[in-house]
Amino acid sequence: MINEYIRLEHISKSFGETEVLKDLNASLHKGEILGFLGPSGAGKTTTIRILTGQLKATQGDAYVLDTHVKNIDESIYEQIGIVTDQSGVYERLSVYDNLRYFARIHGVELKHVEELLTRVGLLEHKKKPAGKLSKGQAQRLVLARAVLHKPKVLFLDEPTSGLDPSTAQDIHELLLELKEEGMAVFLTTHNMEEATKLCDHVALLNKGEIVEYGSPEELCLRYNRDKQYRVLLTDGSRLVLRQSPEDVEQLSRLLQEDRVNSLHSCEPTLESVFLTVTGRTLQ
Amino acid sequence: MKGIHKNKLGAVLEMKGRALFSKNFIIMPLFSIGITLLLKFLYQSMGGNGSEALSNTLLATALGMGAVMNITMTGILCTGMALAEEKEKHTLRALMTSSVNGLEFFLGSILPVVAMMLAVNAMIMVVAGVSLSLTGWALWLGMSLLCATVSGVLGMILGICAKDQVTASTVSTVPMLILVLVPSFRGLNATLNRIGGLLFTGVLQNMIQDLVEGKASVDVAGLGVILGEIVLAVGVFLYVYRKNGYDAG
Repeated sequence: MINEYIRLEHISKSFGETEVLKDLNASLHKGEILGFLGPSGAGKTTTIRILTGQLKATQGDAYVLDTHVKNIDESIYEQIGIVTDQSGVYERLSVYDNLRYFARIHGVELKHVEELLTRVGLLEHKKKPAGKLSKGQAQRLVLARAVLHKPKVLFLDEPTSGLDPSTAQDIHELLLELKEEGMAVFLTTHNMEEATKLCDHVALLNKGEIVEYGSPEELCLRYNRDKQYRVLLTDGSRLVLRQSPEDVEQLSRLLQEDRVNSLHSCEPTLESVFLTVTGRTLQ
Repeated sequence: MKGIHKNKLGAVLEMKGRALFSKNFIIMPLFSIGITLLLKFLYQSMGGNGSEALSNTLLATALGMGAVMNITMTGILCTGMALAEEKEKHTLRALMTSSVNGLEFFLGSILPVVAMMLAVNAMIMVVAGVSLSLTGWALWLGMSLLCATVSGVLGMILGICAKDQVTASTVSTVPMLILVLVPSFRGLNATLNRIGGLLFTGVLQNMIQDLVEGKASVDVAGLGVILGEIVLAVGVFLYVYRKNGYDAG
């Protein structure tokens, strides 16, 4: 399919007797972000390792940039970037030299290193040894290294886990920019706010199985079975109104009398959808 | 393993070459030169206030100790610990998922260390004050190159099997002791002498004795031993590499 960068077809993976992935199906297109959302141990990292050729699936087929994962060799890494918690930096080298090293490997012009350092906010730290960076700065360096060669697909395994909100925000902005430039992003996270903000589609993964799949909005609306509206009145009092004839009439009256300060619908979040579907929380 | 891309091999070579000059690793070649100098002065003083010429045996002992230490410590520890460090700091996976292939990583890891061992072995000869003919130098550097290759591949095998630098250091201790001590004490016991003759370090020490005595000839049996050990080391390396790449430890 045109611009389909990743396709998973009935992927299963077992370690001995334990089945960790069960019949996964999903696809990712150019300029999209696909989120695999699930708690620790749900199989998110295993999926990335299969898609990047680091692990073999027990059953099923998966394609990355039209190459079957069983045929993947190191040349695929010229077109993909990977960020995982196992992505270390050369601590004795400076920030600049870390990127220069990989620029040389990928045949990227050195002027792009400076541009990228500016973009990820590390230009002022370019001479600092990478081992002296904060966790957030190091993660930005790892991300910069992963996109240095302008890959078509970027795999991110919990990229903002353990980072402060400001750094996480910076990373989100960068990811949205990369998506606008046409990069496809395969993101795993257990942060539902991150998934809602970034992802075009999410797969809710529970014990190795995709239990729901769709856009975050679709999923939230699909499980919005008990419609409620939160109302803040001009006198400061708060009401929660339901989708019943009496409550609709009351809301209409309040609006006509101009007594409504704010009005919010109360559809479920991805976290509550996950809880409804699996009976488990994401953390 | 696939073909070689010049840019990727060049990048790994530069990186590994720079790492070799870090304080963790440079100490080993420096120590080898230092021990040769120390033993030379010690034996000179034993030979009568430094005024008398060193006996060939004592000179060969000083030279042999330095050269064998260089070949074993630099070769095994620098390659093994550098690989283990890549695993410990999670840079190996970053490198291997950035389109560098196994052969490029292997050559990039081993060539700077081999070059360092050759340079140090040449320096040791100069420091010891041994005057060699052109043939002598060619034999010495050629034999050093073959020994450095065995040692470097051995270091890569141990690096694959170690999960971190401490483990690499620990698992390297026994082979290093065998490779250094057996040839050094081979004169004390017939069995040690036989075993020493089957080790590349033992062959290297024999050559040093010959060179110090002014004999510059090829020891065919010794050469066979070293070539056999290269084949064996590469075979073992390929076996452990094929099991789980560089990440088996």
